[in-house]
Amino acid sequence: MAYVFELPDLGEGLPDATIVKWLVNEGDTVKTDQPIAEMETAKAVVEVPSPVDGTVLKLHGKAGDVIITHAPLVTFGEAGKKAAAPAPAPAPSMHAQVAANAEKASATSGGGEVFYLPDLGEGLPDATIVKWLVKEGDTVKTDQPIAEMETAKAVVEVPSPHDGVIAKLHGKAGDVIITHAPLVTFAGKGGAAKAEEKSEPEAKGGDAGTVVGAVQVGNTIVAESSDAVVRALAKKLGVNLASVKGSGAGGKITQADVKGAAGKSTASVAASASTMPSASVSTDNPLAFRASPAVRKLANELGVDLANCETSGPKGTITRDDVKAASSGKPAARTAAPATVQPAASGGRLQPVSVTVHPEAVRGVRRAMAQAMTHSHQTVVPVTLMEDANISRWKKGEDSLARYVRALCAAAKVEPALNCWFDGENMERLVHPAVHVGIAVDTPDGLYVPVVKDAHNKSMADLRGDVEILRKKIAEKAIKPTDLSGATITLSNYGSIAGRYGTPIVSPPQVAILGCGRFRNELKMTERGIENQRMLPLSLSFDHRACTGGEGARFLAAVIADLEKPE
Amino acid sequence: MPAITLIEAVNLALAHELKRDNDVVILGEDVGINGGVFRATNGLAQKFGEDRVIDTPLAESMIAGLAVGMAAQGLKPIAEMQFEAFMMPAYDMIYNHIARMRLRTRGRITLPMVIRAPWGGGIHAPEHHSDSPEAQCAHIPGLKVVIPSNPSRAYGLLLAAIRDPDPVLFFEPKRVYRIVKHEIEDNGEEYPLGTCFVDREGTDITLVSWGAMMHETLQAADKLEQQGISAEVIDVATISPLDIDTILESVAKTGRLCIVCEAPRSGSWASEIAAQVSEEGLFHLLAPIGRVTGYDTTMPYYKLEKQFMPSVDRIIEEARRLVEYK
Repeated sequence: MAYVFELPDLGEGLPDATIVKWLVNEGDTVKTDQPIAEMETAKAVVEVPSPVDGTVLKLHGKAGDVIITHAPLVTFGEAGKKAAAPAPAPAPSMHAQVAANAEKASATSGGGEVFYLPDLGEGLPDATIVKWLVKEGDTVKTDQPIAEMETAKAVVEVPSPHDGVIAKLHGKAGDVIITHAPLVTFAGKGGAAKAEEKSEPEAKGGDAGTVVGAVQVGNTIVAESSDAVVRALAKKLGVNLASVKGSGAGGKITQADVKGAAGKSTASVAASASTMPSASVSTDNPLAFRASPAVRKLANELGVDLANCETSGPKGTITRDDVKAASSGKPAARTAAPATVQPAASGGRLQPVSVTVHPEAVRGVRRAMAQAMTHSHQTVVPVTLMEDANISRWKKGEDSLARYVRALCAAAKVEPALNCWFDGENMERLVHPAVHVGIAVDTPDGLYVPVVKDAHNKSMADLRGDVEILRKKIAEKAIKPTDLSGATITLSNYGSIAGRYGTPIVSPPQVAILGCGRFRNELKMTERGIENQRMLPLSLSFDHRACTGGEGARFLAAVIADLEKPE
Repeated sequence: MPAITLIEAVNLALAHELKRDNDVVILGEDVGINGGVFRATNGLAQKFGEDRVIDTPLAESMIAGLAVGMAAQGLKPIAEMQFEAFMMPAYDMIYNHIARMRLRTRGRITLPMVIRAPWGGGIHAPEHHSDSPEAQCAHIPGLKVVIPSNPSRAYGLLLAAIRDPDPVLFFEPKRVYRIVKHEIEDNGEEYPLGTCFVDREGTDITLVSWGAMMHETLQAADKLEQQGISAEVIDVATISPLDIDTILESVAKTGRLCIVCEAPRSGSWASEIAAQVSEEGLFHLLAPIGRVTGYDTTMPYYKLEKQFMPSVDRIIEEARRLVEYK
């Protein structure tokens, strides 16, 4: 297999070199490092040494020809294969060691365009052909995999550098291809596409072991955005661009216009001074508020909207105290008159329906509820079972809430899987021996769920007493975090207001919640004939990740059984 | 208008000023007959004569010292250092004389001079050819430090640097020398020094960079756009004096700032920008200030060079972190 030696980077920072004189002829046998050509760069004439021992098959060019860096220079015969890698370029003079390294591109040679195996890793010397994915004569597209190659690290697919027709595959499965040796030759010029810039300058052998640099050479032609320059100049000269008339093409403002305007008037300086964005009134934009990151964090933690905070800090900044004041429910001091102009519509936020009603920030308990529900919705896999309990045998004046709590405790004994916490991330569940019942309490501020602790050990009277104490604390805003945490199961008694069945929302890590609907009278067939019976609709939601349907149904049956007891 | 590279733009600006102003002279190692290590001064000695484009011995402190004398006596020297790190032997001249002449003479003598140096990494050069010492230089009071990011800015800013009455260090991102071409009209129009260029407007985050890293930063902005994040991109261009106002205005608009530079992280100019924004713009910040920089090590040899230099992916990752910061 022939080995094509490409013109290495000759240590100059230039993309090509001219052949001054060949020092060998085709057919000659050469040794490694034997000079094969004298090449002239813009800076010096240097001798190019042979990278291998071998026979010179072909000299690519004649004296006077310009050879692009990394284009083929000499093709060596069979012996050339033995060489591990092309030899380095001659050491450049110490103070001028930087050379151009032409962009990685397949160079044009004789018949067709040769695609050289790129470095498939970080400086890998070679790769083995596992399988060709194309065959000679195939038409390929840019980036189409042409071969599977195995390197020391992995098997990778080598994509085609451009559209074209494969003229020759250099090697067969199992062959080792040296990095930067030919892999495939494309027919003709390899199609219209010039090899795309691969921006892999180090991939070329010219760098190996040398101390030269490789200034990338490209030909991307771009136009300087004159806007940036004109704006910068206007800023420098204190010119307000809005007041400058453009004399350029299409009324574009040129540098000359800006200089002219600067000369004409110094008054415009003042006008341009106010380029700082004015504080926007839109609460949409967090930057409408001046608050340090620490203050923003605090506001986030407390669920306080910066829009509801006073700005008592210097230059209208919001301080930590402002955030705390807003959090503690102190009426916001921002008593600005209601805007008479409707704010412009902005992406996604609630729009006011009239000039006197504005969206209010959802904060405090209401915000916590919203966040908890979102969390539940995102994590729990809920299922809801619905069934009625016949509570006709209850005594008059029965304490329904205490009965519900008692029923939950009884059911937890029968089916503990629902009195449980579940951690879906770590796949753990914690079945609780005790029953701490969270009781949803509706208040004007939002939803509170105080917890009746150790409900399984308490009498009906104690349960009622506990609930009353908790309610009172809520009313007096004296409820403590400990009163609100640790529930193992939740009860929602929405039926005291309205609603027959529901789909209560499980509050993770709990796995179940029982919703009690509104009693109703129903004609039922009984042993004594058709009778009016009191029916209590129940809705049990549970996290199906944590409990089976059977467990849920057994639990609900146990709840019903307890509720249907006369006392 | 010809489309030219950054190095050709430098050559164009030098030629323009040599022609326009007889006081302008160029000096440095190999800048004359040879045209400079990167060809920045190619053909100038032939065109303007060897007394305008002067080859000097290989001694950087002498080059800087010579420039001090020339500038103090009314010439406008443009000295070339072959690489930014070779400026270090000239540091005594730069620090103690060039930067202080105006102050020490109470304004009687200013030094209208420029020191040009290829700057930055990414070209697989040895480590002392790949440094980014702009923060060291910007730290010195009395110097202007300018880094263009593309051919047009190289042309416009170099003209401004040469015409500036005070000393300017002009760092050319050598990685960009030949990767982009601009169509440039040789009209002698200078670009403003001391002013940032807002290259792209956006609302979600401000990306600030300079020099070669502007290319990765703009690419990152493009990709962020596809991900629904609108990034404002600012080319600092003049490192010192820093136009902090433009950056602050942008941060006031976006609430987030990410600074990209290829110098080692600690004490980089990214650190200074972050400090100034913390002082003046804290109340606009919705997230901490992010920096995507090189690492606190010497630039590695070429195989690790890519790991050292901020990549488009690193910029995107940091920008996303800041935008998603809660």
